[in-house]
Amino acid sequence: MIAWSRRRTLVAGIGLILAVNAVALAGVAYNRSGDPDSVLRLTQRELRPPYGWRSSAENSGVALTLHWRAPVEESADSRGWVSFGGGGSPAWLDKAKLASLGFETSPPKAAADGGRYYEKQLAREVLLVLELDGPAYRQSLERARQNAARAEASQAANAGNKDIERQAKLAKERATSEEREYTRLFAVDAGLDIGALRARYPDRARYAIVRGLVRPQLTSHDKEQRLSGYVSGLSVDQINLPVAFRQVVGYALQDNRAGRNNMPAPYEAEVAFGKRLEPWITAVSGKAGSQ
Amino acid sequence: MTTLSRTEAQQRADEIRVFRRELDRLEREHILALTEEQRRAVAGHHDGLLARYTQAFDIDRDVQARQLSLGMRIASFLGALALAASVFFLFYQFWGLFAATTQVAVLLSASLGVFAATVWIQGKDASGYFTKLAAMVAFACFVLNIAMLGQIFNITPSDNALIAWAALALLLAYNCDLRLLLAAGILCIIAFVSARTGTWSGMYWLYFGERPENFFPAAAALFLVPQFIRHDRYAGFAAVYRVFGLLALFLPMLVLANWGQASYLYLDPKVIQGFYQILGFAGSAGAIWLGARRNWPEVLNTGVTFFVVFLYTKFFDWWWEIMPKYLFFLVLGLTAVLLLFVLRRMRTVAVKLFKGNKP
Repeated sequence: MIAWSRRRTLVAGIGLILAVNAVALAGVAYNRSGDPDSVLRLTQRELRPPYGWRSSAENSGVALTLHWRAPVEESADSRGWVSFGGGGSPAWLDKAKLASLGFETSPPKAAADGGRYYEKQLAREVLLVLELDGPAYRQSLERARQNAARAEASQAANAGNKDIERQAKLAKERATSEEREYTRLFAVDAGLDIGALRARYPDRARYAIVRGLVRPQLTSHDKEQRLSGYVSGLSVDQINLPVAFRQVVGYALQDNRAGRNNMPAPYEAEVAFGKRLEPWITAVSGKAGSQ
Repeated sequence: MTTLSRTEAQQRADEIRVFRRELDRLEREHILALTEEQRRAVAGHHDGLLARYTQAFDIDRDVQARQLSLGMRIASFLGALALAASVFFLFYQFWGLFAATTQVAVLLSASLGVFAATVWIQGKDASGYFTKLAAMVAFACFVLNIAMLGQIFNITPSDNALIAWAALALLLAYNCDLRLLLAAGILCIIAFVSARTGTWSGMYWLYFGERPENFFPAAAALFLVPQFIRHDRYAGFAAVYRVFGLLALFLPMLVLANWGQASYLYLDPKVIQGFYQILGFAGSAGAIWLGARRNWPEVLNTGVTFFVVFLYTKFFDWWWEIMPKYLFFLVLGLTAVLLLFVLRRMRTVAVKLFKGNKP
């Protein structure tokens, strides 16, 4: 190899740094150009600040975490099982949907153990549809209320039974949390073609299409193994909070310290998802006393 | 003279020092006697060379200077790491207080400014220590620059960032003669090639580490780089490529030899483990042979290290539970002694071969 002169090195290095920055910023500009693909008005229920934000002296930046859920089956719902952002296995993510996402759903004859075959398929990046305050949330809320009502009736019929009393209390708390605290953002569909998904979910203020990760898994139901999918996360689940909006969220957190529950005081953030489906916060407003 | 690199100048200076010591010994033992004129001519020639090298490259003229140099190398390495960490923490401490435009301006200016400063320092710093320090900080600034752009604008993570980091690391490594940055660049290349290999099977690129076989193409490519690109002017660069090539080959093999489930192969995990154990032994033995044959000590040493690790891992599997511990460690010790005998024998054979091949 031949050594370069200092001048040539300088030009090459500066050119490289500028080019890489230009490509990254051009991507950002493209994402934010024109009308966004969707704009959701999220609240403190869907956009959570990091734990101990104010106590971190080393990092002055703040990123809000996008909290979402996968709708669970009724049987799981009745047991009070709730999935949050860490992943979930929604009923709609079945074998056919997995096949449409590019996963191999029929093991070859050479693969004697089907389970191992599915396990070997790692997560793929696909397009996920996030629904805000839609049918999936209302169904979850309704089930929580029904569970609470059933548990209350059972408590009345079994007065003095401590276990049933405790279950009734938990069911009531869950229904309250479902009404006031839990995220209303649900992953309701997945696909590979943004046009087809948008045609199916045209409401851009309720449905956001984002990139997320899905992998197959084998689950057991009544001693029968079933292939299903698992949504393991979003490609971008942290949204930077611009300095201009920090005060609103900051006040909400201060209110929270003096508050009665673990939720931050109400705020509403307008989150846009651009042409590359990358999100950004366009506005934040406080909603004092409106919870 | 002008085409000489610092490493070559240092090597010549070391040879002059050894020559002078041996000449002195030969004269004292009355085996060789130079005339006064000859001695003056040789000494004058060497002094002139050393003076020129010292002026041009700030080389170590004697053992004391060399020891000090080692200390300076360690100090510059630690200083570079500390400064790079300082840049990271400094930005994290204050970036949240600025608007996005200011954040981008600060990141870009830091990357450009420190890179330009590195090139400027290179022109002033004959020793190279300060250049290395600045180069490390320049690389850290660029990594921070791209990573923070992703964070500020919520950009979807992409493996393309790795290739940009690798490009700057290699640019700095080759122009500042810095093996540490070469290693950083090589690590970025390994990650990029492995991620691309993984995405061929459809997986999300960040999961490339979950299938160790993804590293094999990068391993082969790195090992072959010095075969196709000459590195005569860059002391130790070819060795760094070969060592990282072998690490990218043997470490995944070691993982697969103990955790067959991680493989792409649709076979019984025990069969996969056995396959990679055999491959690991054969590969490391092959590296020992190749290292001895081509006179690549780094290849030989890496091969020996992995051969021993593969062997000890098997011993652990077979005997840790059933053997008394004193016996287990005795077996390990005896194996090490046996390996020493084998390697000594190999060395003797290699010396004979070398003599036989000598014209």
